[in-house]
Amino acid sequence: MTERAHRPHPSLDDPSIAIEDVLRESIVDAVPVARTEREAEFYTLGDGEMLLNMGPQHPSTHGVLRVVLKLDGERVVDIDPVLGYLHRGVEKLCENADWHQAICYTDPLEYVASLFCEWAPVMAFEKLADVEVPRRAEYIRVLTGELNRIASHALFMGWFALDLGGLTPILWSFIERDEMMDMLAAVTGQKLLFNYFRIGGVNGDINHEFMSRLGDWMSRAGAQIEANQGLLNENEILVRRARGMGVLDGETAMRMAVTGPNIRASGVPFDIRRAHPYSVYPELEFDIPTRQEGDSLARYLLRADEVKQSLRIIDQCLHQMPDGPVMASVPRLIRPRPGRAWAAVEGPRGMYGTYAISDGTDQPFRMRIHDPSFVHLQLVSLLTPGNLIADTMAIMASLDPVMGGVDK
Amino acid sequence: MDRALRSRLERRFGDCLLAPVAQRHDQTEIRVSAGDATDTIRALHDEPDLHFTLLADLAGVDTGTHMQVVYHLWAETSTDWLRVVVDGLDREAPRCPSVTFLWKGAEWMEREAYDMFGIVFEGNRDVRRIYLPAAYTSFPLRKDFHLPDDASRSPGRGVRPMEESLPPRDATSATNLRRAQAG
Repeated sequence: MTERAHRPHPSLDDPSIAIEDVLRESIVDAVPVARTEREAEFYTLGDGEMLLNMGPQHPSTHGVLRVVLKLDGERVVDIDPVLGYLHRGVEKLCENADWHQAICYTDPLEYVASLFCEWAPVMAFEKLADVEVPRRAEYIRVLTGELNRIASHALFMGWFALDLGGLTPILWSFIERDEMMDMLAAVTGQKLLFNYFRIGGVNGDINHEFMSRLGDWMSRAGAQIEANQGLLNENEILVRRARGMGVLDGETAMRMAVTGPNIRASGVPFDIRRAHPYSVYPELEFDIPTRQEGDSLARYLLRADEVKQSLRIIDQCLHQMPDGPVMASVPRLIRPRPGRAWAAVEGPRGMYGTYAISDGTDQPFRMRIHDPSFVHLQLVSLLTPGNLIADTMAIMASLDPVMGGVDK
Repeated sequence: MDRALRSRLERRFGDCLLAPVAQRHDQTEIRVSAGDATDTIRALHDEPDLHFTLLADLAGVDTGTHMQVVYHLWAETSTDWLRVVVDGLDREAPRCPSVTFLWKGAEWMEREAYDMFGIVFEGNRDVRRIYLPAAYTSFPLRKDFHLPDDASRSPGRGVRPMEESLPPRDATSATNLRRAQAG
């Protein structure tokens, strides 16, 4: 935490210090010199309170996240997430790559639904370079994107159950997800980090293997998803541990800059696909499911509703997709005229955004990546106080953060 | 482009804008100084004909001569994204008022801007590093922080000793230490 933590303990030099003193001191020693108001508040311990470090390699922190818990017995009083264990400096790397290369750096940010991380920068670069995307390419983007959304939500349901102590659903989720990943691998050539969207279109047209797999899957997807949810939706342990936990109201959600399923589960029907339409979403018919409760269970059930809407969108894409090229003619080296562009897309976790500045050269001058997981992780210290440690993890899981995006 | 929004903004904030309202594609951009930032953003958030209630993003920018803080806002009243650029922050000691009184969720975004650019947000109660360790001393997204990567065309390429290959006989820790200090 501070430099003090890295220095050897003074008792190593001085054998006269008793072990009891060392133990008593080490708790105080873990409290750093407060640098901010909030830190002073957090690291001032009240009567009977203690600090507990959890992570970074804790299985239920979804990646490498460290949280410092302030506890009163088993109850969480306050929580301070410590980030940076996955920080790679993607924004700086993008400034040192050319416009096309920058897209592949954004891929591993959100390794669960990486098409959406590509989509936002690609859209921003297209606005900067004034590129018109062919309609077939837009339909392919929506089609593959919605497939990726279902794959991401499927994994969320397994993770959520895993954090509540159930192992079976995550195994089922991976079976479910694997089918969709295989389909996307057939069209993109990659199974995890697709790197499929390009400035001006997509890397290749959809092929026969993809279509046959998709047709096969679509014919049984609805029933299969219902069956998998039957395992969870009426599971009494899941429902009782999720209902009424971590309640977030709509007003607070707006103030916390929350987007995506988490804000819709609090009753705010904000979805960028409708609020600020992009691509071909205005031509497609789908609903924005919302729920009023704002608790963990609502966030879980809302994602289940979204999967059904995504299936509707995929079905319409398959029927409406026009023929034609999938790439606009864009040179290998582009130099957009100086300017600024912002683009945002609705991903499975919320809004992915990119703010790109061009200075007229072949490299971005500045590229800002906005990731919803980063914003949503702030909610943990708002929603969890007063709950048990085990429920803290359940609430965190219901917000569905992915650490690759949090840490950039 | 939302022409109506443009005239609304010009009418409301005309005297404190540093540049004319800029519009391109689906974005409208206004520029204000750090002194006017709080009032402008509060008005954008509160007034019913503007009502930009959703903070989409907060980003720091180093232009090489000065610093900026860029907000992207969304409102039901407009079809455009609104970009508010708080311009002309001093590059040596950038300070900007915080928007955490409107959006508490901006707290971590401001921490990130501090971590990457050293911009201090007045009114944010938790301005400390978020990604990098507390003992770190530089601000990596500033334009004078060069990546020692030969693959990029960064001005910093090849200047760091760690990027040079050492012949085995030189590869003692003492030599490395000297080289690092010299670099």
